[in-house]
Amino acid sequence: MDKQEILPVIIANFPDGILVFDEKNNLLLVNPKAEALLGLSTGDLTNKPISELKNLSVFEPLAELIGLEAGSKIKDVFRGKIKTKENLTLEVTTASLNNDGGKKGTLVVLHEVTREKMIERMKTEFVSLSAHQLRTPLSAIKWTLRMLLDGDLGRITKEQKSFIEKIYRSNERMIFLINDLLNVSRIEEGTYVYKVALGDIEPMVESAIGLYKEEIKRKKIKVEFKKPKERLPQVRMDTEKIELAFQNFLDNAIRYNHIGGKVIVSLKYDKKEIEVAVKDTGIGIPKDQQDRVFSRFFRAANVMREGTDGTGLGLFITKNIIEAHGGKVWFESEENKGSTFYFSLPME
Amino acid sequence: MSLVRCSLFADIMEKTILIIEDDKFLRELIGQKLIKEGYKTSEAVDGEEGMKKLKEDKPDLVLLDLILPGIDGFEVLSRMKDDPAFSKIPVIILSNLGQKDDVEKGLKLGAVDYLIKAHFTPGEIIDKIKKAIK
Repeated sequence: MDKQEILPVIIANFPDGILVFDEKNNLLLVNPKAEALLGLSTGDLTNKPISELKNLSVFEPLAELIGLEAGSKIKDVFRGKIKTKENLTLEVTTASLNNDGGKKGTLVVLHEVTREKMIERMKTEFVSLSAHQLRTPLSAIKWTLRMLLDGDLGRITKEQKSFIEKIYRSNERMIFLINDLLNVSRIEEGTYVYKVALGDIEPMVESAIGLYKEEIKRKKIKVEFKKPKERLPQVRMDTEKIELAFQNFLDNAIRYNHIGGKVIVSLKYDKKEIEVAVKDTGIGIPKDQQDRVFSRFFRAANVMREGTDGTGLGLFITKNIIEAHGGKVWFESEENKGSTFYFSLPME
Repeated sequence: MSLVRCSLFADIMEKTILIIEDDKFLRELIGQKLIKEGYKTSEAVDGEEGMKKLKEDKPDLVLLDLILPGIDGFEVLSRMKDDPAFSKIPVIILSNLGQKDDVEKGLKLGAVDYLIKAHFTPGEIIDKIKKAIK
């Protein structure tokens, strides 16, 4: 066989699904693997107008992902994922087909990733299960240390108290880390259920600031809350999650600040959205690390040097929560001057 | 003893708390704290024993873990609520499961509170008990 003859044979036997659309988005070619993955046969597909193709239930998620509309350009997709059936997850990639004559069409490749998805799910379940299991011994430690400190188990010396307080705080850090891990695994599972209702941002901010009272006092931080004189309109949100998202900003503004530093929380709004900003006079984020700030487990080099604690999960969680509400997160920062973190939530 | 202190003590006196918890150490820790605060305690290591102790000791409040060998805490809770002899006893869930669905399920089944063990100190648990038995 020569090169010309073998090409159709390759396509017919290719282990991934292949679909080819012409410049007008008509379906030109479907290989057997694509048919198998979509559960359709050639008769169902070729020469059908797009409107009909989109109506086929298995085709719908694919059509939506690649933006299959008459007359519009098929989207560039790099490893988008779609679920066509229970237990079947496909990775979709599109590529423009060009030759000297210009654009001839679009290639769509379907690759099965069901097993990878299952492994991902098992990993998430494992993290969730471990985290819950870890809470039991951590509770035992917390309760015992607390009872020791409260004198319930006999008198302790001042020196003993000082040491035990340190272990108590260390244990509390572990408990917080477990919470963060659980939140992250829930985000990945997609079971971070959102209970959306109309709510007020102001009292949420005030309650969060109240939670950090002790730490604010300990570090002598001056906290200012700037808000418009009139009452802010309500926003459609999962209040518990938004409070967590805000708390992570506030936590960072305090944690990475200097003794006697300043934190300014400001609220503003317009017809389209509400914007919350948390500004601090802390250590800031080095320019070369700024693009990774919202990544899971990321902690900048300058905080590692300082020896401050942190899980590296707070901003990842905040970004997920805000984006799931249709909002945006962003920040400005200068090393040794401080940072300002923002999030916006769309108004109804 | 001043009159105020007398009546406070009378509030706590004779109140029995049933602890249904399978972890021995945690069960003993919270039991110890309760006794120090003047409560009487009754203990069960699983749901079946819990139901038995309900009849025997007639507690004023139940601290209920969810993950138990045999029947789980949710089952114990629904059985309590189905039985007129026990349905009025306040139940505080003390668990390390903390998913929103679990909390909702527990409260829906009739628990008066849901506390994650790792997030509360024994003293804070006592405060919650005092509020529930008021």
